[in-house]
Amino acid sequence: MWNDLNSPLRALGFRLRALLRRSAEETELNEELRFHFEQQVEKYRLAGLTEEEARRRARLLFGGHEQVKEDCREARGTSFVENARQDVRYALRQLRANPTFAVVIVLTLALSIGANSAIFSVIEGVLLKPLPYRQPDKLVRIFFTNEVFPKFPLNPFDFRDFRARSKSFDGMAAFTRGDVQLSGSGVPVRLNGMGITSGYFRVLGLAPELGREFDAKAEIPGNSLRVILSDRVWRDRFGASPDIIGRKVTLNAQPFTVVGVMPAGTAHPGNEYQPLAYGEDVDVWWPFAFGGDPARRGSHFIEGIGRLKKDVTLAEANAEMNTLLTQIGREYGGYGSWRLLLISLNDEVVGASRQLLLVLLGAVGMVLLIACANAANLMLTRAAARQREIAVRVALGAQRSRVVRQLLTESLLIACVGGALGLAMALAGAKALVSLLPANFPRAHDIHVSAPVFLFTLLVSVATGVLFGLAPALQASRTDPREGLHKGGRAATGGGHQSRLRNALVVSEVGLACVLLIGAGLMLRSLLNLMHLDRGFEEHVLTAKLSLPRDQYKTDESRAQFFGQLVAGLQALPGVQSTGVGSDLPWTGYDDNSSFSIEGKQPPPHEDFHARYHMAGPDYFRALGTPLLRGRFFTDADKKDAPHVILINHAMAERYWPGEDAVGKRITFEDHPKNDKDWLRVVGVVGDVKDQPNSRGAEPAFWWSAYQVTDPFPDALVVVRADADPQLLVDAMRNQVAKLDPALAVADIRSMDKIVTASVSTPRFAFLLVGLFGALAIVLAAIGTYGVIAYSVTQRTSEFGLRMALGARRFDVLRLVLLQAGKLILAGTATGVLLALILARGLKSLIYEVSPADPLTFTAIGFAVLVIAIVACYIPAQKATKADPMVALRAE
Amino acid sequence: MSPERIDLPQGTLDLLILRTLSLEPQHGWAISERVQQVSSDVLRIQQGSLYPALHRLERRGWIKSKWGTSENNRRAKYYELTRMGRKQLEAETDSWRKLTAAVAQVLESI
Repeated sequence: MWNDLNSPLRALGFRLRALLRRSAEETELNEELRFHFEQQVEKYRLAGLTEEEARRRARLLFGGHEQVKEDCREARGTSFVENARQDVRYALRQLRANPTFAVVIVLTLALSIGANSAIFSVIEGVLLKPLPYRQPDKLVRIFFTNEVFPKFPLNPFDFRDFRARSKSFDGMAAFTRGDVQLSGSGVPVRLNGMGITSGYFRVLGLAPELGREFDAKAEIPGNSLRVILSDRVWRDRFGASPDIIGRKVTLNAQPFTVVGVMPAGTAHPGNEYQPLAYGEDVDVWWPFAFGGDPARRGSHFIEGIGRLKKDVTLAEANAEMNTLLTQIGREYGGYGSWRLLLISLNDEVVGASRQLLLVLLGAVGMVLLIACANAANLMLTRAAARQREIAVRVALGAQRSRVVRQLLTESLLIACVGGALGLAMALAGAKALVSLLPANFPRAHDIHVSAPVFLFTLLVSVATGVLFGLAPALQASRTDPREGLHKGGRAATGGGHQSRLRNALVVSEVGLACVLLIGAGLMLRSLLNLMHLDRGFEEHVLTAKLSLPRDQYKTDESRAQFFGQLVAGLQALPGVQSTGVGSDLPWTGYDDNSSFSIEGKQPPPHEDFHARYHMAGPDYFRALGTPLLRGRFFTDADKKDAPHVILINHAMAERYWPGEDAVGKRITFEDHPKNDKDWLRVVGVVGDVKDQPNSRGAEPAFWWSAYQVTDPFPDALVVVRADADPQLLVDAMRNQVAKLDPALAVADIRSMDKIVTASVSTPRFAFLLVGLFGALAIVLAAIGTYGVIAYSVTQRTSEFGLRMALGARRFDVLRLVLLQAGKLILAGTATGVLLALILARGLKSLIYEVSPADPLTFTAIGFAVLVIAIVACYIPAQKATKADPMVALRAE
Repeated sequence: MSPERIDLPQGTLDLLILRTLSLEPQHGWAISERVQQVSSDVLRIQQGSLYPALHRLERRGWIKSKWGTSENNRRAKYYELTRMGRKQLEAETDSWRKLTAAVAQVLESI
């Protein structure tokens, strides 16, 4: 019945006016009340009282003038903002009065908030920002899968059947990596190339800025001399010429017609080995042509990608595709245990980094919590020192909520200043992080301190302010005015409740620091394991990449001759020990596979024997330093017309000839081998080299002799081992190539140690950051523990004095303090170790050959944390022993 | 000196203020004097509740204020009823009557 009829808008206007005219309102309010008072005085006077008596009575009647004013302000609705203004002013005054306190808290918070924002900017750019394609959540990658190969490329003809028959997709496309050599104008260069089917860009939701993408005709062999350029190549090599479409450019010594140019920032969606192989660094796209016999489907080398229809889920598409696979399998002889695996593109691109980033976010979050604990402790100490002031305010009628609000304003102010500084640090930190990121980290160029990062920082700052301010504020507001005033500032020990809170802070700080350091310790052990791995090759080997254009080197003989001459030339250089040519280098992501048959063995029904498929020249393994376990290496005698031979690795020997001597056994690629020429004999077994340092084990692999290969490999890697620094050989190597063929580009000249360094860059990055956060955490925790113990020692100075007056020795007092601190620290370390045992399971995918419950790490770190924290307490404990008995007695 | 005083029931203060202002614009002092007089000294409004109530009613838009000159030639803040305030007064008077009648009925019949 007392319903409010006015519109909220009107009330808002009133409030705003009231706020804007704040000082005028105050004057008016004063004047209005004054008038009332004078009228009252007048009335008493008229009733016959003296002036003085009239005023006294009026004042009595009037009651608390300030209280009435406050109630009026409240009634006008201006008091909330007004109070906040007052609180901020008051808080600023408090902070100015104690600048050291303010600076310490602000800097601690700035550092931890800044670290959080920097890590969040990486998470925002990599995990949260959508991929640069239209509706990226509908994009899926299509793989073959079985128990041995979790993600395996597709066969082109299978892919073509899937594309034709599947009803789950708006579009499906395939791509394969294939670099090309651009010549014609200037020095020949190797370009990062991708072979793509028609519709590839349409599936991704990208459109060329000039021209168009490949049509279905380009998929037919013979029609594929067309190319789409990247914006970068178009600008750098062709001066951004507007009439580039239709022009002929020379790629691999053949004339290609330019049909399109893709806009800048066109990102490649990656392959199964690297989530972002090349990322935005693809230079040219050429049409993938479906050549060969569609009935032969053993060779798997193209990558599938598709766009799901709007209402089709990943699971539905997966089911449909596997039904198709069974169908196609029936038509072409079966696929055995192979299945199809669909993975959302987003998971594929950033999935592997997600765990790492979340771990890092958790780590900085813990650092922030420790900083909060320190800040809370400082606030508590200050609130204790201000107990008298608060008691006075409560006695004068301040409401508890007002006291809490006022103290909270102070902590929020500190947190927001810290946050603003932290944001500045994040700007620098994010740049530093990006420069530290491993080279193959996905989406590094998407990392910026952007609007969401600002918002995140604001939220974190406010949350931080409340987190470290609330408990001390509530505590302080509980002050009993009588007690507070009575005790004054001196003996305010803060009561049991307060010291319990302080103790809890120490326990949690020490615990969190312990967790972080254990995490860092596990990562360090993992990194050391990776760095001291038995790699199976030498580091100090110079390598370079060549590709022989097919049109120039048409025959196997011409290629073999070129390699022979190159190796002979390099071998003759001074200081060179051995040199060889191979199809690829270890740890660089090569993963082509082939199926084959083994003489006298049957694969399980509907399955093939599979292994990695490489090529090597005679001295390739010797130059690389890969050991020979049995048999022999290739020699110059393993020529075209000699009996065909292969080398296999130890893993292949174990997989296919367990318990037998593999040397002398034969395999074939023919379905129906006719004569000895169709068989390849194993002549040697070489040591294992894993795909990646952290791979579980080496994949089975075999090598053709470089002189007997029938299907030319796209690339040739030259490896040179020398007595001297391999870098000195770089120019000699270039000259040697130029002497043989001046039009040939030499690419990727680097020594194997570069590859080794790059391959452990992710674990190194993870360890560096977690280690950094761990170090920060233990420093903060030590400071915090020191602070709490120092405070308690100050509070108990007179007690210690008394004890010593009663005969306690210095050592007894020292022991007393250290024992009290030690209990807390021990509890903290124990909590930390337990928490780490639980959390470390999340690190499993990030650490190599270290148990997440590694006893060595846990014991060592736990012990170190104990020692550091105890040392931090030793200083205040020492001070306690200096308590002067006389001072204590006089004070009591 | 004065007859028995009664504490104002919750919410009736607003009603009294609105009613007093319905005759003519008044300043706060006059409002409290008038109520006291008319109620034969039974109802007294303390300034501690009067002024917050006036400011609250002004915020709700039921009364508005302007500065004027008092009978003894001093600057005083005068409040007057707005159109909305008049409606509110009618509504509240009505419900007050219903309430007192109902309460009286209960008191007398039981």
